[in-house]
Amino acid sequence: MNVDEVLQTFVAEARELLLGMEDSLLALEQDPADGEAIAATFRAIHTIKGSAGLFSLDELVAFAHVAETLLDRVRSGQVAVNGELIALLLECGDQLGLMVGQAAGETLAEDTAAAHAARRADLVAALQSHCGDTGATVATTAPATDEPSRLAAEEEVERAHNQAWHISLRFGPDVMKLGMDPSAFLRYLGTLGTITHITPLWDRLPPADEMDPECCYLGFELDFLSDASREAIDSTFDFVRDDCRIAILPPRAALGDYLRLMAEAPEGTDRLGEILVASGALTAAEVERALDRQRRAAPPRLGEILTQEAGVPPVLVQAALDKQAKVRDSKPAASRFVRVDADKLEELINQVGELVIAGASAGLLAQRNGNGALIEAVALVERQVEVIRDRALSLRMVEIGESFNRFPRVVRDVSRELGKDIELVITGAETELDKTVVEKIGDPLMHLVRNAMDHGIEPTEARLAAGKPARGRLGLNAYHESGSIVIEVADDGGGLKRDKILAKARERGLVAPGQVLDDREVFALIFEPGFSTADQVTNLSGRGVGMDVVKRNIAALRGSIDIDSREGAGTTMRIRLPLTLAIIDGFLIQVGGSPFVVPLDLVQECVELPACDQRAQPSHYLDLRGEALPCLNLGHLLDLESSGGRQNVVVVKYGNRRAGLVVDRLLGEFQTVIKPLGQMFRHLRGIAGSTILGSGEVALILDVPPLVQQAADQEARRLGRLG
Amino acid sequence: MAKTILIVDDSASLRQVVSIALKGAGYDTVEACDGQDGLNKLKAHKAHLIISDVNMPVMDGLTFVAELKKLSEHRFTPVIMLTTEAGEAMKQRGQAVGAKAWVVKPFQPAQMLLAVAKLVQP
Repeated sequence: MNVDEVLQTFVAEARELLLGMEDSLLALEQDPADGEAIAATFRAIHTIKGSAGLFSLDELVAFAHVAETLLDRVRSGQVAVNGELIALLLECGDQLGLMVGQAAGETLAEDTAAAHAARRADLVAALQSHCGDTGATVATTAPATDEPSRLAAEEEVERAHNQAWHISLRFGPDVMKLGMDPSAFLRYLGTLGTITHITPLWDRLPPADEMDPECCYLGFELDFLSDASREAIDSTFDFVRDDCRIAILPPRAALGDYLRLMAEAPEGTDRLGEILVASGALTAAEVERALDRQRRAAPPRLGEILTQEAGVPPVLVQAALDKQAKVRDSKPAASRFVRVDADKLEELINQVGELVIAGASAGLLAQRNGNGALIEAVALVERQVEVIRDRALSLRMVEIGESFNRFPRVVRDVSRELGKDIELVITGAETELDKTVVEKIGDPLMHLVRNAMDHGIEPTEARLAAGKPARGRLGLNAYHESGSIVIEVADDGGGLKRDKILAKARERGLVAPGQVLDDREVFALIFEPGFSTADQVTNLSGRGVGMDVVKRNIAALRGSIDIDSREGAGTTMRIRLPLTLAIIDGFLIQVGGSPFVVPLDLVQECVELPACDQRAQPSHYLDLRGEALPCLNLGHLLDLESSGGRQNVVVVKYGNRRAGLVVDRLLGEFQTVIKPLGQMFRHLRGIAGSTILGSGEVALILDVPPLVQQAADQEARRLGRLG
Repeated sequence: MAKTILIVDDSASLRQVVSIALKGAGYDTVEACDGQDGLNKLKAHKAHLIISDVNMPVMDGLTFVAELKKLSEHRFTPVIMLTTEAGEAMKQRGQAVGAKAWVVKPFQPAQMLLAVAKLVQP
């Protein structure tokens, strides 16, 4: 793995976080006091900023930093949550998304990029003004040095004549409890230069019976030859500075500094003086001169150290912080995920497919062999394979909520744009669907949602005039139904105007004069390419625009869409999609000696064809418990010679329609691994794919929806003829 | 044998970048996505150093360190805290649970290596 690949991880992660942040912000809009939503928003920005720094995305970091600062104040209650703030943060999220996109290699046109940069500058200003910052108050943390004054006084200061740094260390007693190993710092120091002399000090070591083995009693006086800067040497002790006494004197330091070191040493001035002389840091004469000066000058200002150590009473601070922590720690448990390459899953599912076929083949052989024990053993294996198949397929199933997630924001934005008050109600977000389908359904859904808001739901005045609540309602719903997933986009708007659509279709020649259409067929007209692009009909305007594309996209997923609408009451668009695109439970049938598979989920029942109907016309009706069931004779349809014997009818249902398929033999359930048809056969109507049987024979999988449609069409034609 | 470093952060990309840098410097790494996961990972792995984010879902970094200090095997393991908020207040809270080393986000991988090298050499 290299950094480029990790960048991809970052991009995916950042997008996920931004999406989550959007949710939190929308939740916050509903309930401005939602502490968890504030914390989640903060965390999203915080994490993105932290990771972005690793990839040197400086612009992104800087932008995120401003947002983070504001959110920090929101979190601590210094800044109040209001609509304006949320709108601002949502836009920041969008900009961050764009910047993440750029990091991923997406390029923008130069002028758009410039526009975005300008927008970001505005946003930064807005964020800062929300913070109560003027923007100029960037804290200058650089410590004020007393270097110039020191330089000026240089001539007067008497200096030591050594070449090495002198470092004086007294580790705090708790240093090991804090996980710090004193020797680790010495080893690190060794990477910066050479330790020429080291004197360990154990003066603080108590008698053995009082000694706590977990405490550190050691101190060191070091002489250190190095070209490293003072900063670099100093930073070695960053992590222990608070608990340790550390003094670092550069080569040729002023004797006065050494004097202070000696005076402050817990071991006593004289003892330290001896050490310094012994290690060669100072000569005996230098120590003597330093001590001499001390005697002449005022006593050392020990008070300085005391005030440094006093500081704020930590007890008070801690109490306040503990309280904060308690509030923040009550976070809901997140579900745990493992990220897996989609190709690996694909490969796994392919292999499971092969396993299913091999299992069927073994089962067939066992049956022929007739050995009872073997049949039982193979049956057990097949059952296990079935479980594995379901598990493998479920790996690719994701909740449709992933697709629904972006709609709260869309609805919020579009409804503001349109000046309508629209409430989004999402149900069935936990319904699962194949990942590949989820990815492709987003765009058609978006189109339907926008259409419903723009053209379906009436303006507030019109709603009030019609006696409806002022607030429009848009529903997104998903559920499973006989092997399909159904996604509904429902609005409580004006509904489709059947007469106007029909008139328009007649005008365009889409419907022959005198042709009778039911509601469903009339509404389906809006999916015709180019329908209603010009000369728009009130309340329908635009509904046709791009609807043909929506229909095409859904058809490409082997799905279908139909419309329920009541004028004045609203419209429901119903998308029906197959659950999965890989392995299904099939029902094996035989027509004219060839095996075919019907998806089992679509099969409702099987009945024997009554003798009087045997060898009847290509298509006809069956009286199914008093209901007229349109039937298709597959033998006729596929031009296969019937193998003789009594025929059967497989009753299939798709959507609200039922039809009977007349077949020669029923062979029973069969696990079907769908193998797509080659390019040459893709256009074949009524055939969805192929599969391999246990015997090695190839069986075609029937595509039921067009067959049901065909049966219904024949019904309509016959009615037309009769009429 | 190479020293093992546990990286606890909810950002997978951050973990990976840090992990790549550390492996390049001769350390072994183990990753965990939050404090709770970190504690679980410690049941199976010995860590010579722990790098932990503060602000994480499920179990935050300070709670994680506090829990860590209760485990006899791991109470002396050095911890580097990652944060964007290395203010005094945060450091005080860290001090209270026994976290002393801080690296401020965003950081460059080289900065992290430097900080790690001060506590554990590969």
